[in-house]
Amino acid sequence: MKTNAATLGLVLAVAFSTSALAQQALRITGSTTINPVVSEAAETLRKENGLAITIDTAGGSTGGVNALGDGRADVGMSSRSLNDSDREKFPGVDFRPVSIGRDAVSMVVHRDVWEGGLRALSAEQIRGIYEGSIKNWNEVGGPDLRIVFFNREPGRGEWEVLTKFLYPGEKTAPRTNHAMVGSNEETRQKTATTRGAITFLSTPWADSKSVFALGIRNDADSVIEATGPNIASGSYPMSRPLFVITNGEPSGAAKVLIDYLLSDAGQALVAKHGYLKLADLE
Amino acid sequence: MAPCAKSFRPQWILWSCTFGVAVTLATLLAALLMLVWQSLPVFAHSGVGLLTGTDWYYPEQIFGALAMIYGTAVVSLVALVLAVPLALGAAVLSAEYLPPGPRLAVKSGIEMLAGVPSVVYGLIGVLFLREWVYKGLEPFDPISGDSLLTAGLLLAVMILPTITTLCDDALRSVPAAQRAAARGLGLTRAEAVLHIALPQAAPGILAAALLGLGRALGETVAVFLVVGRQDGQLPGNPFSLTAWISPGQTLTSKLGGPETHIAFGDPLHWSAMIGLALLLLLFVGVCLAAAWGLERMMRRNTDPVAEATP
Amino acid sequence: MTASRRLIRFLLPSIAALCAMFALTAVIFILGVLLVRGLGSIDWAFLTSDTRSAGAEGGILYQILGTLILIATALAVAAPPALAIGLTRVVFLRSRPRAARVVDALLHALNGIPSIVFGILGLLIFLKFFDWGKSWLAGGILLGVMILPTLTVSLVERLAAVPRKYIEAAVGLGLTREQIITAVWLPQSWSGLLTGSLLGLARAAGETAPILFVTAVFSGATLPTGIRDNPVLALPYHVFVLAQDSFNDDARANLWGAALVLVLLVACFNLAALPLRLNLHEESRHV
Repeated sequence: MKTNAATLGLVLAVAFSTSALAQQALRITGSTTINPVVSEAAETLRKENGLAITIDTAGGSTGGVNALGDGRADVGMSSRSLNDSDREKFPGVDFRPVSIGRDAVSMVVHRDVWEGGLRALSAEQIRGIYEGSIKNWNEVGGPDLRIVFFNREPGRGEWEVLTKFLYPGEKTAPRTNHAMVGSNEETRQKTATTRGAITFLSTPWADSKSVFALGIRNDADSVIEATGPNIASGSYPMSRPLFVITNGEPSGAAKVLIDYLLSDAGQALVAKHGYLKLADLE
Repeated sequence: MAPCAKSFRPQWILWSCTFGVAVTLATLLAALLMLVWQSLPVFAHSGVGLLTGTDWYYPEQIFGALAMIYGTAVVSLVALVLAVPLALGAAVLSAEYLPPGPRLAVKSGIEMLAGVPSVVYGLIGVLFLREWVYKGLEPFDPISGDSLLTAGLLLAVMILPTITTLCDDALRSVPAAQRAAARGLGLTRAEAVLHIALPQAAPGILAAALLGLGRALGETVAVFLVVGRQDGQLPGNPFSLTAWISPGQTLTSKLGGPETHIAFGDPLHWSAMIGLALLLLLFVGVCLAAAWGLERMMRRNTDPVAEATP
Repeated sequence: MTASRRLIRFLLPSIAALCAMFALTAVIFILGVLLVRGLGSIDWAFLTSDTRSAGAEGGILYQILGTLILIATALAVAAPPALAIGLTRVVFLRSRPRAARVVDALLHALNGIPSIVFGILGLLIFLKFFDWGKSWLAGGILLGVMILPTLTVSLVERLAAVPRKYIEAAVGLGLTREQIITAVWLPQSWSGLLTGSLLGLARAAGETAPILFVTAVFSGATLPTGIRDNPVLALPYHVFVLAQDSFNDDARANLWGAALVLVLLVACFNLAALPLRLNLHEESRHV
């Protein structure tokens, strides 16, 4: 269509001419846990260094890794370690994860469960709940209330952390069937409004007002809370490094971003959102 | 000078119009073919199992969409059962009882529902409807506020304006002379509506319901946020209603979710998602075709364009 | 009159009124919630500043601009084919009812395609085949195809309402068919294209599913500088992500503000189309 082509040409001409620096933006995709930190870092870099950075969170941690592998993103944000299936899926990609901090995943419960006295669960109990063999809170020391387990969408870093904890050494977790929630806020909100609900969530998001974080009961029958020192020392089992990943050695804008995240200013952002700085881990 | 209406000279407007139509047609056809082509791998892998399989688990390459088809059907059914009577009632009011001024006000008011974007409906659903359904269904002990029922309720409000407008149109297209004749014979206005207007508008009303159904089948964002997104929720007994108040999954909620992003690099998984899209298109297509047929029946084979010209 | 007749005479309008009231209550509730929760967040700064802190602070400037860019592109993509199809349908196919029915059926079909299918098609075509990365143009084209029926139907309605007398007079004066189009059909019916455009823009502004995969990102995009790898921000996508992802009360307040702005934007376009639509509706109905 003549008119269509002309209009298109005009629009393109305007679009091209409105930019002073026609630079390719740095594309970042991935985990909603790391998003707040990287978003704020990107804002600063945009203002101070004039970098063009776009960020998206579709698909969570696995979405970020996949996008990086497919070449649809330059930097992937992942709140779980890379595993073998990632590398198998993208054999030609040189994944370079850089840890910018650490975060813990807690089992969080609805107010009724917390106020019913439950404060901790052991791995075996969590396994039972996850697989559906334990159906009522009174079987694990809580009130007489049906357990409603909210599973996280496939691809969420938290899910990988949980299954690695529950099924160490096994390649795949058993199939389960639960209602799904996606990002951290949806998880928190739906757990807070469903009686007897339990899910697993990035610890800083458990605000102790709407949802409550449980401790993990270990083999010695003592309860480990998800506090800073416990996470740093590794005694709290469900913790995960927060990664920004590049394909190959980071360069250009990606390098600027990563350097910033590792600097004091960037690490302050990590702490601001409740995660552990690298310095805290030593 | 003689008129040149039947001139055989190349007419640039005619040719550019034809070109425009042809390009549009070709593009649509190409898109449809591409969908079919991309979905072939999963049909090779699962065959009809894509439609009849009850399990969906992509890590083990199990692709069965029956639970999603069930979810889609339940959600749409709930939406229709609620929306059609309400829409018909509202249309009867605006078409038969209201004078022009209030009629306009009521119609515009209801049409404002159509102007609310689906993502805002989803927001309202997550923050309000979920709670109400959860509390309201307490005697039945639902698992949470996310369920097929919640999604159906939300959809009912979303398709209400579409069905209302079309029912109103259907009722208004019954000639006023017939109503006048009925009144002349001593029928009340209500009886004129019930025995004269409604029966004649019935094909149009049915078409309205089908179009509403088509819209309900295809709604993604609002359903995604409140349906629970749990796979494999197929009840043992097809008439049991427990599945309605439990979380479920529809074709659209699966397509709009993260699996589409994850499937991007994996040929079989990707093909399965395209297969879902094709299924959805098929169901919507059947509804639209039925609605189209009914509308034709109501117009009794006359060309609405030719008829409308004064 | 028997009692049962009196009962029906009373019940029918009462029930009808209740139904209408339910619908209107729903409207009032939705608008009310949006206003109560969102109005507080909206001020000039909100509308003209950048988003900060992943949605917790700042405003929605680039989301608004992104949405405007997308709907403008959609209109540019949809208008020429709409004109072509509309003219063909009314002017050239008047004497070929079967072909006319085919065109009508196709428009009907296009209008009914779910928006998520558009999104998937976009993912397939623009991301997989063309390898465009996330692009504003992909979203604009998808939205344009989506609103094509809206524009076309509105134009056809208006074209159909052009009195035959004018056409006959033009033929009598010796105009060629294309002269009749430019001198009679188009000037008489541009309001139809305008109405259709406004309605189409309203619809395109509120759509999330088509832009979910191929166009929108959550943060960082400003104005596009090319086609490939040039996403935009968009109001519906912003609301969608924040609905699942807002991490503190400030972000939630901004979420409602963005939702309200979106609804107001859509309402503006719909309201602008209203006077023209009413005129057409009433005069072409045989009541």
